[in-house]
Amino acid sequence: MELYEGGCELKLLETLEGHSDRVWSLAWNPVTAAAGTPLVFASCSGDKTVRIWENTPSHSASWTCKAVLEDTHTRTVRSCAWSPSGKLLATASFDATTAIWENVGGDYECVSTLEGHENEVKSVSWNASGTLLATCGRDKSVWIWELQPGNEFECVSVLQGHTQDVKMVQWHPSTDVLFSCSYDNTIKVWAGDDDDWQCVQTLGEPNSGHSSTVWALSFNASGDKMVTCSDDLTLKIWETDNIQMHSGDGYAPWRHLCTLTGYHDRSIFSVHWSSEGIIASGAADDAIRFFVENRDGLVDGPTYKLLLKKEKAHDMDINSIQWSSGEKRLLASASDDGTIKIWELASL
Amino acid sequence: MEDIFESSLHLEETHFEEGYSDGYKHGLVIGKEEAQQVGLRVGFEAGEELGFYRGCIEVWNFAIRVDQTRFSDRIQKMIKQMEELVEKYPVFDPESESVQELMEALRLKFRAISATLGMKLEYNGYPKMGQDPKEMGF
Repeated sequence: MELYEGGCELKLLETLEGHSDRVWSLAWNPVTAAAGTPLVFASCSGDKTVRIWENTPSHSASWTCKAVLEDTHTRTVRSCAWSPSGKLLATASFDATTAIWENVGGDYECVSTLEGHENEVKSVSWNASGTLLATCGRDKSVWIWELQPGNEFECVSVLQGHTQDVKMVQWHPSTDVLFSCSYDNTIKVWAGDDDDWQCVQTLGEPNSGHSSTVWALSFNASGDKMVTCSDDLTLKIWETDNIQMHSGDGYAPWRHLCTLTGYHDRSIFSVHWSSEGIIASGAADDAIRFFVENRDGLVDGPTYKLLLKKEKAHDMDINSIQWSSGEKRLLASASDDGTIKIWELASL
Repeated sequence: MEDIFESSLHLEETHFEEGYSDGYKHGLVIGKEEAQQVGLRVGFEAGEELGFYRGCIEVWNFAIRVDQTRFSDRIQKMIKQMEELVEKYPVFDPESESVQELMEALRLKFRAISATLGMKLEYNGYPKMGQDPKEMGF
């Protein structure tokens, strides 16, 4: 890719303050920026609120908080996710509920509340078609919900299998296969036939898996590779056979491709694979790192190299890092320091 | 000639054996009583929980008969599945390997149905799903 030839730098565009506690997670609205509408993203925090931020079109470096979603969750909001249509926002909280918000003429209304988890809900994810929602939490279970007319949700399945706190759930970008990662060091793959969902694969230490808590996972644009990050200070790349996956047989097994060691010396809490193939990681050492595939001399298969490291990106642990889906290489990072920073990865 | 000191030489051994034998007999009796108590309690708990689920299913089935349109196909299917699990539970065979599995499957189904129906009803008798059974104290 031509970008990296001349080198690149990470430019800080803006630091957003507003939350009164650590910011846990952020999510870019998938629909904005595509049609020329301003970029929008949501952030959620230990202050029990969710904030919606919008980029003012006139100043490309200016972001304002358009809405504060409060008085609903009674504890930390840990994770948020937009539906593919960009119309609904799901927020997962330590208060054991998941709230669904709808943008009604600029105001966000809580249109549904999903209860069922026994304690803290840690993550929420929509499938590619926006018909299914997955949640997971400290009670070790993964729940799958189906969206019904009138913004109602029906529980499709409650999945047991992880032996510890489940940190994140993420749907595959093009098929209805669900992935979860946990404090039990494994990644589980769940596939369903009608309402019968099962764990079809577990990626653990025997499969060259992580040796400590897996915090997050992210897919590449084509959905045939996935990156996971862990307390064990490594990033692992996994791959699958894309053709088999889409052939309608349901599911194709994943295998370990490579491990990125020696780049991080603190837990890696977040990882996100951009549509162009740049992997961004956010870690407990307050730094952001970028990795790309190493095209120079393929040995046994693709390897990855460090493209750039931004130290002291924040004053404290980085909890979440997310690329925006737009033309510019914009990304947002959220930290324990209570701020959100907007960056641009630019060529020198 | 019989050793008249035989018995006094092995006094310690004799006493030990007597004591052991007494204790063993006593233990058998107490052990059985205790086991009966535990069995009674565990049986009661299992029965109470099963009964609770049976009751819920009966009420739901009744509600479905009253107005079928209010319950989606999926919910009706789940209730049916839960009913099958209750029927399958080996009430008269507590040593069966499937008791733990079936009870857990029932609890999961119950939680899924309550979540969809928006019911906040909880059965208070059993340990929470996330809890390690070893942590449970009796």
